Amino acid sequence: MQIQIKCSCFGEKCQEWAIVELQGEVEVQPDFQHQIQSLPIGQLCRPSSQETYTFTVGYHELTGTKMSLKKPMLVLKKGKKSSDPVGGVDLEVIGVIRNRILFKTRPKALISKPQTSVKGRAKAADAMVPN
Amino acid sequence: MEPAYSDCRGAEAVLNLQPSASVTISYHPLFGSHDDIMLLELDEKFLPDILNQRVVVRGQPDEDAVLCTQSKTYAIKFVGTSNSVFLIPPSDSEFLDSTIDCDQKDQSQLAVASVIKVAPGFMELVEVGPKLDKLKYLLFKNPYSSEEDIEMEDLGDIERGLYKWDDLVERIQASDDELRSGLQALSALEIDGYWRVVDEKYMDMMLRMLLHDSVLNDWSLDALDQDTVVQVLQSDGYPCKLAEHCLCFFGQKLNESVDRSCVWKLDERKVCVHIAKQILRGGKRKMESFIEEWKQKIPEGMQVSFNMLEGEVLTERLGVDTWVQAFSLSSLPSTPAERFSILFKERQKWEWKDLQPYIRDLTAPGLSSEGLLLKYTRRTQPKADAEPVFSAR
Repeated sequence: MQIQIKCSCFGEKCQEWAIVELQGEVEVQPDFQHQIQSLPIGQLCRPSSQETYTFTVGYHELTGTKMSLKKPMLVLKKGKKSSDPVGGVDLEVIGVIRNRILFKTRPKALISKPQTSVKGRAKAADAMVPN
Repeated sequence: MEPAYSDCRGAEAVLNLQPSASVTISYHPLFGSHDDIMLLELDEKFLPDILNQRVVVRGQPDEDAVLCTQSKTYAIKFVGTSNSVFLIPPSDSEFLDSTIDCDQKDQSQLAVASVIKVAPGFMELVEVGPKLDKLKYLLFKNPYSSEEDIEMEDLGDIERGLYKWDDLVERIQASDDELRSGLQALSALEIDGYWRVVDEKYMDMMLRMLLHDSVLNDWSLDALDQDTVVQVLQSDGYPCKLAEHCLCFFGQKLNESVDRSCVWKLDERKVCVHIAKQILRGGKRKMESFIEEWKQKIPEGMQVSFNMLEGEVLTERLGVDTWVQAFSLSSLPSTPAERFSILFKERQKWEWKDLQPYIRDLTAPGLSSEGLLLKYTRRTQPKADAEPVFSAR
């Protein structure tokens, strides 16, 4: 079997995707576990002109940096080959990743904002909608 | 309010985040496991090949997939991560249909970047050798011979062991260049669109006919005119393509000419080795009688030398006699583990001079030949001045 890796960029620049990477997992509050689509995760800030970022998730704040990947990563999408009824597979390049923002430190608790901490992230999500 | 584009930004919002600005990271309206979206890490140097669609993934369902460029083969390894890798597509990613997303959120003034999936890891490429043993296996299922089986003609090509180039690339895990040189190494040729190896007996008949004709017609074996030879072999009943192949197989081309016929010189080594192998087809022989028969069977003007048989025969001392037996490098598997396993099945202990011809062609990415020996053999040296002996690990 042969699968050609297709690329519709045709020599033009591939669309760049982004990665926000953090250690461990982000847990969704139980109420939202089954409908996390469109739910905000947190706020990504760039406090200064340096490539340092903060990511606030609920009452946790992470500090990280933007770094370019040593080797680029392609985003591939597997699809059914439309021309082949037997079930051939297509692989298409739909993007390229060259940078990631990596948060590898332990989160800092934002104890100075008790209200947010009580409501948690899920409440923060609600708060956004009326605006 | 007009549905401003800035309301709904994807990867750009993250990658181009300005100082003192912020962006909300949220789950995408279509967030999910999206198993059909995969990450592949590769060297920058592959990108032009990818953009020009010169890269293919090859493998049967029961094989680990490999990625092939024009010239090289790479294994695809999955590297998992325990980190949460949030994957954020660009805002106008058409296949994700994120315009709907924008309309739904157009009330918000905030910049949003949406995570489509959490990537469990990525795939990376590791250079590997082409898997050409299968090519050998496939082609030797039905070598071209004088009795081309007519009865089997009802069967499909593949059932008959007949493969076109396109059938081979579907089945062999190798790049196009590697497959081509693999076919060349097997002395395969394209006959009626099918890649075939030619049966050794058939080659033997053709060589003997060629030698016979050269005596009859007083041809010099050092200057055979291609057109003449092919014409005469054709009148002897051999197809033109096979006659040309015979010259190619046993000879060297002396000139490269478009308008004139090519001139070939029979290669002493190739011819002598072939004849030696024919003699040993019947089993092992005592050295003296083997050499005697060998010398007698080769064409006049050629000289035998036992060195020619390196990688083709093994010798063994039994009592006062030395015996010779056929043991051809080309019949051995090409992966180091299988190669050493067969070698140590043949002989438990190998001296370096005997072993070397059977392993010098082995390559394994990242391992030198010393590394291979360390990995697969045990080296013993009975005395400081004695020859080292290699046995299985």
